[in-house]
Amino acid sequence: MEKIHTTCVYCGCGCGLYLHVEDGQVVGASPSPAHPVARGRLCLKGWLAHDFVYHPDRLKAPLIRRGERMVRASWEETLSLTAKRLKEIKEESGADALAILTSAKGTNEENYLLMKLARAALGTNNVDHVARLCHAPSVAGLGISLGSGAMTNPIRSLLRADAILVTGSNTTEQHPLVAATILEGQSRGAILIVADPRKTQIADLADIHLEPRLGSDVAWTNGILNLIIERDLADEDFIKERTEGFSALQESLSKYTPEVVERISGISPEDLERAAIAFGEAPRAAVVYAMGTTQHSNGTDNVLALANLILATGNVGREGTGINPLRGHQNVQGACDMGALPSVYSGYQKVEDPLAREKMERAWGTDLPSGPGLTAVEMMEAAEEGLIKGIYISGENPMMSYPDREQVKRALESLEFLAVADIFPTETTALADVVFPVASFAEKDGTFTSTERRVQRVRRAASPPGEARSEWRVAKDLMKRLGMDAGYSSPEEVMAEIAMVTPSYGGISYQRLGISGLHWPCPDTSHPGTEILHREFFPIGRARFFPVEHQDLEEDPEYPFLLTTGRSLFHFHTGTMTRRVHLLDRELPRPKVDINPEDAEALGVRRGQKVVVESREHRLEIEIEVTEQVPKGTIFIPFHFQEAPANLLTVHNLDPKSKIPDFKRTHVRIRRSDS
Amino acid sequence: MTTTSALFLDHENLVPLLEELAKTLEVVAPVYAEGEPVFATWKGEALALDADNPLNSPVEFFLPQKEVLFKYVQYSGRYTFQEEPPKSRLILGMRPCDLQAIKVLDEIFGTELPDHPYASKRMSTIIVVLNCTSPGEGCFCASMGSGPVVEEGFDLLLTDVGPGYLVESGSPAGMFILRAQSHHFEEALPEHLKEKERLLDLAEEEITKRRPALTPEQIREAIDETDWEEVERRCLRCGGCSLICPVCHCFSVMDRGVPDGERLRCRDSCVLSGFSRMTSGANPRASLGERLRHWYLDKFVYIPEKTGMLGCVGCGRCSRVCLSEIDRWSILREAIE
Repeated sequence: MEKIHTTCVYCGCGCGLYLHVEDGQVVGASPSPAHPVARGRLCLKGWLAHDFVYHPDRLKAPLIRRGERMVRASWEETLSLTAKRLKEIKEESGADALAILTSAKGTNEENYLLMKLARAALGTNNVDHVARLCHAPSVAGLGISLGSGAMTNPIRSLLRADAILVTGSNTTEQHPLVAATILEGQSRGAILIVADPRKTQIADLADIHLEPRLGSDVAWTNGILNLIIERDLADEDFIKERTEGFSALQESLSKYTPEVVERISGISPEDLERAAIAFGEAPRAAVVYAMGTTQHSNGTDNVLALANLILATGNVGREGTGINPLRGHQNVQGACDMGALPSVYSGYQKVEDPLAREKMERAWGTDLPSGPGLTAVEMMEAAEEGLIKGIYISGENPMMSYPDREQVKRALESLEFLAVADIFPTETTALADVVFPVASFAEKDGTFTSTERRVQRVRRAASPPGEARSEWRVAKDLMKRLGMDAGYSSPEEVMAEIAMVTPSYGGISYQRLGISGLHWPCPDTSHPGTEILHREFFPIGRARFFPVEHQDLEEDPEYPFLLTTGRSLFHFHTGTMTRRVHLLDRELPRPKVDINPEDAEALGVRRGQKVVVESREHRLEIEIEVTEQVPKGTIFIPFHFQEAPANLLTVHNLDPKSKIPDFKRTHVRIRRSDS
Repeated sequence: MTTTSALFLDHENLVPLLEELAKTLEVVAPVYAEGEPVFATWKGEALALDADNPLNSPVEFFLPQKEVLFKYVQYSGRYTFQEEPPKSRLILGMRPCDLQAIKVLDEIFGTELPDHPYASKRMSTIIVVLNCTSPGEGCFCASMGSGPVVEEGFDLLLTDVGPGYLVESGSPAGMFILRAQSHHFEEALPEHLKEKERLLDLAEEEITKRRPALTPEQIREAIDETDWEEVERRCLRCGGCSLICPVCHCFSVMDRGVPDGERLRCRDSCVLSGFSRMTSGANPRASLGERLRHWYLDKFVYIPEKTGMLGCVGCGRCSRVCLSEIDRWSILREAIE
């Protein structure tokens, strides 16, 4: 038996673990004691990280569509067909009729190559990935206020905080290792404030639980900051020396009195004041947030309000402070870093900046398109309109994870050519013209970048099943067939190129990563990496305050309930992997809608019975779970289950600043099911 | 089988000895994987015998996380079954606590109608125990009566007495190795035996000072007194305690593949709700608190009733992996204080 140290494939915590290999097969997993985040611990998904690897459903051979059927084909045939079709579409309709969706589950090297494939080989900036649906508002909001959209501090830094505000994050279920660190911080004396309309476990364990109405985040965040300023708890030196725009902010905040905030959010003035004093008085205070903050039609404003809060209290650039967006996938940070976004190359170098473009043109030896491309959801719209004709999707399942499933289906069906690379058949591979079977995390080399900007090694423990291949090879082979020079012999060579063209990864090489990895920015080979951002200055010089206002959201009397979506502890994202892990599937085998006891009684339904949940466009039938975890008037459905896909109900209500859809607030009505 | 006359193995002779044994056996030993000790197949690399006991117990070589019980192949409508013979192994550096876990498992899987997959691996494995002369921080084997002194159950027993190992055999297989490889060994001197005693007394003292022993009665009382609802509130549901425990042996069986495939036995956990939930949806241990209480009762009441041995060997691993920093030992202590 061999034990190979690698990085977990699920959430952004980026835990180190060992894969146990016997006779060339992965047979087990165990936590890594020396890994700085795992510290010998894992969540249940991590303990079972190896379990889906040999599931019989694994895709083992390339497939090509022949009429209604998918037929087994050779790699040569599949790659050549894909290159040919992409070329044809480009010649007929131009490069911008093509798009690539890369994968937050892929390695940095794979994301970089697919990004290069889109820009240099196909000639389009239409490249995006699932970050659009999670932290686009963080990239947009923190980008303009602080100059960087990533976590400012490492996870461990939370141990040193005196107050921690967790908002829009079901941390114990979605980022268990971060939750464990927060709770350890609390047991060392930090005051834990949790703002969440749901009574999650971390909300239950909090010292102060604020229960705002859905869509009132800007109001209560502004209200807290308003109280902090009124009580002279703001950090005036920090504001003076390191920020700009404070007076305009102060003016905009004054109307968010506790009474106004109560009217909007339902949070009592007493609770708001307790939270404000706890956060304001703490020598070191940190904010942790996730999808509950970003997945709104005003997601960027929510992020900016939190950024204002930490800037005005001087909680940046020191241990135990900072603003910390928790990233959902193990490499969604890395996919963003690698430039799998329509507007930037790797390291957030803007495609519109002529200097950056020239630099990449020189490095890649080809001309590059200048205008930003389409975002993920815009690609679907453009596909439906016939503007986009060919898409390559890497390890992503938009049919389950994007809003408005029916529209995604129409969009993907109207394409002339769809290629999908995945480890399992999904609702999306079912629509593909070409399917590439690729290697899972246990079967490839590379790097993932965790939520705390920690670049870490992924190590190949076993061979992929059947004819499956690592996706970096697929990207490389397509590049070659599209006429590019792509002689990479290993992911390590790809990383060398990444380091060459990406300033924040300049000092990163496999030899240096070891167990603990390196935090970017790491500009050169002697640089130790940067655990805490913005210590002395911001990348944009001074940080900026952006006043943001609460917007009253429409009510819909015909659809009186608010549906909010999310994940559960036992499943991950669209369930492609976790629903094939029998212990996880057994814990939560069926979709259920969480509903408050009072609502259940009014509807005349009991636990285990079925209800029909209807939005203006669609409906689904689902079993109910009666629980105090959700407030009256709000229901919760996890989006893991294709039997009752929550995103059938969600709509295309995009945040104008970041183009993220509002997954967290959909008007629905409920009735008892007749069946 | 009790200890027979002792030999001495110079530190420098250990690797040559292993090299010879590795010609016929798979030698499993603590080695460094990216700097951390783990039990893995030894291929000549540096041994991690001085490091702490690896987090993952070598019990996994008898009860793997996932094992193929047999393969089934359909041919003309008939099934044939193929079983892999167990590997001949030697596990070097198992600690007394893990050996105690195997003794408990032997009672559960090995008596009367023996569990064939377990028993066959057990019979084809030679166990070389390393006495714990520098116990880890969270260890409390002395309080559970499972270490640091071990008297039986091993094939060979090593104690690091400074310049080399004192080697004692505890079985015919152990004796056979000592005879067949006699050129690596010397006669042990009386001071080696004395040094062994001194080191183990020290270790025992250290452990009991850190974690004074509780009697089984006290533990039972503590289980009754513990506020399990509060433990449930804090537990982050990783299942790690039960998945890492060397005595835990819950499993589930499933078939993978149709028409040909494999019957698998996979590690399972009674802490998970699906483990006790019935097909109707009813769950006799519906809350996590009840399941955790059951887990303790199993260790301190049910397994002792069945085997005459405690179901906890004091290795401290459940505390090391606990996401909620729930320290088993402190829970018990606090409950009766």
